Amino acid sequence: MQAQSLSRLRRTGNWEQTAWLFTRISAMVLLVMALFHLLYMHVALGMDAVSFQLIAYRWQFLGWRLFDLVLLILGWLHGANGMRVVLDDYVHSPFARTVARTLLLIITATLILMGTFVVATFKPS
Amino acid sequence: MAAITGIFRAVTYRGREGQIAWMLHRITGVGVFLFLAMHITNVFLMLFPSHVFNSLAALYHSVPFKLLSIFGLYFGLLYHALNGVRVMIVDFWPGAGKYQVPLWRVQLVIVALIFVPSAALMLARMF
Repeated sequence: MQAQSLSRLRRTGNWEQTAWLFTRISAMVLLVMALFHLLYMHVALGMDAVSFQLIAYRWQFLGWRLFDLVLLILGWLHGANGMRVVLDDYVHSPFARTVARTLLLIITATLILMGTFVVATFKPS
Repeated sequence: MAAITGIFRAVTYRGREGQIAWMLHRITGVGVFLFLAMHITNVFLMLFPSHVFNSLAALYHSVPFKLLSIFGLYFGLLYHALNGVRVMIVDFWPGAGKYQVPLWRVQLVIVALIFVPSAALMLARMF
């Protein structure tokens, strides 16, 4: 049954299938990156260590900037796609759905631009 | 009242383990999503003089926020991550669907094994 339904999905290439696959592929990457991020910042370093100076130090390294950027974009897109699915479950009227999806899209664009901007342009002084 | 009826229906609906697993996945997912919105906005403050970020960080270093970060964010992300692994096992491994309940129990044990010692460490550091 499982194999059958999967192969049927594969034949009908569409947006939902891409989103379904994206959720799982990003999940595998986030499983490593997000858990590492939290275990490192919260468990190993501790929340008290988090300060402007710590992040400025980290962002001296291109590797950490790239790590943060990838985590930001993948994490947010994974979450936004999940929110789209959740909203579809509870928001039924076409008008409300359009409003909710448009808001989600605007917030997504704004936060990804904000995050990318700060990671890319921050100058340690 | 409608909310109470809704919660009552959700809990008494006979979906058993699978439904509870799904409900927790959704609640923790939305929770982490909301946190992330806040988190990205906070990190954006790095573009301003250092005291702006640090004065907000001081708020996050208060006891209520630390407790929320341990029992909300940290537990939530751990559950969501490991439940996601179980969902993917059931999706990609033919026949694994039959074992979704035992898999869920194993998953909860793994969550506890990671969460309890690390949460204890973070709590010990607080006091």
